[in-house]
Amino acid sequence: MITVEGFEKTFRYMSMFWQGMGTTVALSLLTVFFGFILALILALMRLSKFKVLKALSSAYVEIFRATPLLVQLFIVYYILFDGIALPGIKLFGFIRFDRFVPGVVALSLNSGAYLCEIIRAGIQSIDIGQTEAARSLGLNRVQTLKLVVLPQAIKNILPAIANEFVTIIKESSICYTIGVQEIMYTVASVKGATFSIGEPLLVATAIYFCLTFPTSKVIQYFERRMSRGDRR
Amino acid sequence: MTEDNIILEIKDLKKHYYKGKLKAVEDVSVNVNKGDVLVIIGPSGSGKSTLLRCMNMLEEPTSGSILFHGRDITKKYTVDENGKKVKLDIDSIREHMGMVFQHFNLFSHKTVLQNMVMAPVKVKGMDPDDAAKKAMDLLKRVGLEDRADNYPIQLSGGQKQRIAIVRALMMEPEVMLFDEPTSALDPEMVGEVLDVMKGLAKEGMTMVVVTHEMGFAREVGNRIVFMSDGSLLEEGSPSEIFNSPKNERLRDFLSKVL
Ligand SMILES: Nc1ncnc2c1ncn2[C@@H]1O[C@H](COP(=O)(O)OP(=O)(O)O)[C@@H](O)[C@H]1O
Ligand SMILES: [Mg+2]
Repeated sequence: MITVEGFEKTFRYMSMFWQGMGTTVALSLLTVFFGFILALILALMRLSKFKVLKALSSAYVEIFRATPLLVQLFIVYYILFDGIALPGIKLFGFIRFDRFVPGVVALSLNSGAYLCEIIRAGIQSIDIGQTEAARSLGLNRVQTLKLVVLPQAIKNILPAIANEFVTIIKESSICYTIGVQEIMYTVASVKGATFSIGEPLLVATAIYFCLTFPTSKVIQYFERRMSRGDRR
Repeated sequence: MTEDNIILEIKDLKKHYYKGKLKAVEDVSVNVNKGDVLVIIGPSGSGKSTLLRCMNMLEEPTSGSILFHGRDITKKYTVDENGKKVKLDIDSIREHMGMVFQHFNLFSHKTVLQNMVMAPVKVKGMDPDDAAKKAMDLLKRVGLEDRADNYPIQLSGGQKQRIAIVRALMMEPEVMLFDEPTSALDPEMVGEVLDVMKGLAKEGMTMVVVTHEMGFAREVGNRIVFMSDGSLLEEGSPSEIFNSPKNERLRDFLSKVL
């Protein structure tokens, strides 16, 4: 039952929701950052001429895309970080370090697999003529990639990366299962204090929507503007 | 002709695709001498581009050799005077060969000036200010100094191609390779690009030009080679090729294009 009274009680815990939102945003931003770096390495391995690197990268991407995120999260938290004693400190007074770090690691490992495919497609979408021109001028492989191909590829895939950020905001809710105090964890806490679940859930829904909807719209705006600029 | 006058020596070059099913270039031997304007003509699909792209190893030949100042650049390793095995640094060879493409291939995320200074600064370690000054001088020569800060997308095809030519010249190449530099241009822009190329030839630049512009071939070329189905069928001076062609297929080709 949703009641006005229930909302009144829930709103008393708004500061906890704001902290949960802060955690969700921090979790997502760090995930995109580390996921992107990992993805860049994976994509370069995938496009390298060494068969072993290619195979390793493909295997990584396939495994992470073919297994549930929840399973990956649990493996990271219960197995990978089992023997690692992270300090039980709280960042900004509310982010539990020992839960937050495994959460970021698991999400980044997962997101890296998806972003790898985006980056690879971005690199392959750059006209081969750009590479040929660079090489014909005497630039080596690395210089060509760094100065000519990647800057263009990354500009083209910025919208896709931003979309991945939106996806991660939503998927990061799964980290509640390992005790990361993000938005969904707040819902559980408020439920414990107020004995009602509906109202906290609706508040969480509204917060997620306010985070993702405007972001998507901004991305769409830039996507449209960029595609206009690229027309010849 | 002394040894030093030969810039490129191509011997029995083959380039096959699909495990030999498609012979894009078949047993081609040709030299590029200092000061030559070597023009390659022939129907489309005859292997002109492939031959040209082998010259700076953008394509890896199936067999045969390409000597650049006597050094085989198709081999990954060569043996030096002391009998030591040295790895071929293809980038340091390519520095000396400029290339101009049919579709310009200007770096679209860089301005005209940035397009021109990138390679000299990054490859040769040239001072950026000196490179910019040199770029402006070259832009003046082709009448595009007011375009230095434009992006390629803001330029016409003819302007892009003139920029592509001076971008290659920034590296002070010994030889310039042109792959149908005017084929993607609107007819009214062909002249401005050919004029730049004529200017270069007049200054003594060594050039290898794949083109369908027979007027240019006759007027500017000093040697013409005719290719068909991957083979080099006839080689000669412009008057030999255009006034007294021997090969049947060359005569047929000329009757269609002239
Ligand atoms: N990368 C490639 N893969 C397969 N076939 C190719 C490739 N490049 C060229 N070819 C083929 O080789 C032949 C010669 O091509 P090309 O050198 O481009 O001819 P031209 O420049 O004279 O028009 C053509 O039949 C072409 O289809
Ligand atoms: Mg061609």
